[in-house]
Amino acid sequence: MSVAETLTAAKPHSGRAISFLVFAIAIALIAASPFLPNYYVRVINSLLIYILLGIGLNIVIGYTGLLDLGFVAFYAVGAYSYALLASPQLDLHWPFLAILPVAACLGAATGILLGIPVLRLRGDYLAIVTLGFGEIIRIIINNLDWLTGGPKGIARLDKASILGIQVARPIDFFWLLLITVLVAGVLVWRLERSILGKAWAAIREDQDAARGIGINTTNAKLAAFATSATIGSIAGAIFAASQRFVSPESFTLQESVLIVLMIVIGGIGNILGIVAGAAILMLLPEVLREFAEWRILFLGLLMIFLIIVRPAGIVPRSFGPDKLIRRLFGK
Amino acid sequence: MTLVFDKLRKQYGQVVAIDDVTTSFAPGLIHGLIGPNGAGKSTLINMTAGSYSVSSGSIALDGKRLDTLKKYQIANSRVARTYQNIRLFDQMTVLENLEVCFYPADVGGTWKEVVWPPYASARREKRREKCMDILRFFDLQGYAETDAGSLPYGRQRMLEIARALVCEPRVLLLDEPAAGLNHHETAELTARLAAQRVPDRITIVVEHDMDLVMKLCDNIIVMHHGKLLFQGTPAEVQASPDVQLAYLGTANDIDEIRAAAQDRRAQLGIRARRRS
Repeated sequence: MSVAETLTAAKPHSGRAISFLVFAIAIALIAASPFLPNYYVRVINSLLIYILLGIGLNIVIGYTGLLDLGFVAFYAVGAYSYALLASPQLDLHWPFLAILPVAACLGAATGILLGIPVLRLRGDYLAIVTLGFGEIIRIIINNLDWLTGGPKGIARLDKASILGIQVARPIDFFWLLLITVLVAGVLVWRLERSILGKAWAAIREDQDAARGIGINTTNAKLAAFATSATIGSIAGAIFAASQRFVSPESFTLQESVLIVLMIVIGGIGNILGIVAGAAILMLLPEVLREFAEWRILFLGLLMIFLIIVRPAGIVPRSFGPDKLIRRLFGK
Repeated sequence: MTLVFDKLRKQYGQVVAIDDVTTSFAPGLIHGLIGPNGAGKSTLINMTAGSYSVSSGSIALDGKRLDTLKKYQIANSRVARTYQNIRLFDQMTVLENLEVCFYPADVGGTWKEVVWPPYASARREKRREKCMDILRFFDLQGYAETDAGSLPYGRQRMLEIARALVCEPRVLLLDEPAAGLNHHETAELTARLAAQRVPDRITIVVEHDMDLVMKLCDNIIVMHHGKLLFQGTPAEVQASPDVQLAYLGTANDIDEIRAAAQDRRAQLGIRARRRS
């Protein structure tokens, strides 16, 4: 029996103990972060960025049941929004907090732009079209030299500062990302539990029956694409600010696939699952760094193993944040 | 205040599935739609609910055209349906299957639900109350937190009807609600549907179980080859020679069927003898 099976199993004592253990490790990790060397903080930061991306993409894949393989496009839109508005490239030097809403709006607009042509598509067809969309955005960035610097990218981005506080060291970004992930996580979780979240689930289960009970599936799907893209775009803006350099290389199909993998392995449709999936896919390569050339093989084997043992993901959909809270603090 | 079909027609290429059907359905009654397989009963239901397009003619509810609307808009005109093959949201709980029906009414408050928890719980409580009422009516309250897909078949049928009823529809379309149910379950279903005969609701039932139709329906419409063959009370339908003809065929047909059956038996008999 695996960890999560034990978590969801009838025995509340062991389940509670494991929940507490996982929870304690998470708190300890957060508490220890300020004292870790910069290298580890950077690793944790990239973990947090991927969790944020996972939370965004999960809206479309996990809640609404639409396989989107072009998510990285929204990440790129956010990153380049920051890069263009806060660098010598266009000689614009907007403050971070002014760029964030711009990036969010551009992300949402791009999300709807992708959403409209794929409204009628599902499954494999949708996956192919979204994959193409992701590539189009990357290729545009790669070739729009006068604006984006082409393959060279944009360097010397401004240091971010929020309300006069400079956000430059890895640990500053750790706090910024932690807050963003928590806020996005709570909002998206509440969104999932709202009436719109239920409609997304209905579309995932049976789109035609969903129309039959009066759900305007066009609007509900576009809302899913827009919200998802907004979060991806915000993640991109923070990413750009922390790297202070962007180039098309960061936004390849591989990134999209990695985020999808995190969701599938962690537990599709569950925010806790995304955290688990991101932790495994981001931290394991670090742990296995010494076995450099074996890393990918290990990771591949682990994925195959997890998919066989836990087809619903490490933390299945049924064990959502509400269950975790109830298990930790409830009766 | 009725549902009206006017010269309603459905054509697939050269095949005419519904052939200029004109009729109206009075509110407060349960209308039975019967006829042999392929008569066009389900097609009528699917056209009314917007699942199929209309080739020509029109469908109107209280004078408002339905056939020009999209499927979700028809549902928002308070037309609810069930399906011949059960179509629930399998991986959602029984309660969620009903809650989601309040989407058209509540979607405007989504953001308020997200950012303002007291509002969200008030809305949720309100939805839950209505859903639990209808679940109790169908004796499903014990399954509220169960995934709909893991319910026994008979309960799934009940849940689908509950889902159609939860928003108090003006028009209720039931496509073979008793299919696959045992005698006991069919009797329960009949009683529950009879209790849902409210004054301004138009209920249309497509059903092969004649016992249910005769007991439940106030008005019966008999379809045959896409045409309206007969319309009347259960007693009138039972007495009509036309209806018997459509269902059983002519006397000649019966003789032919008997002859064919005898033929087949004879052949089988020969084979059996050879084997021994």
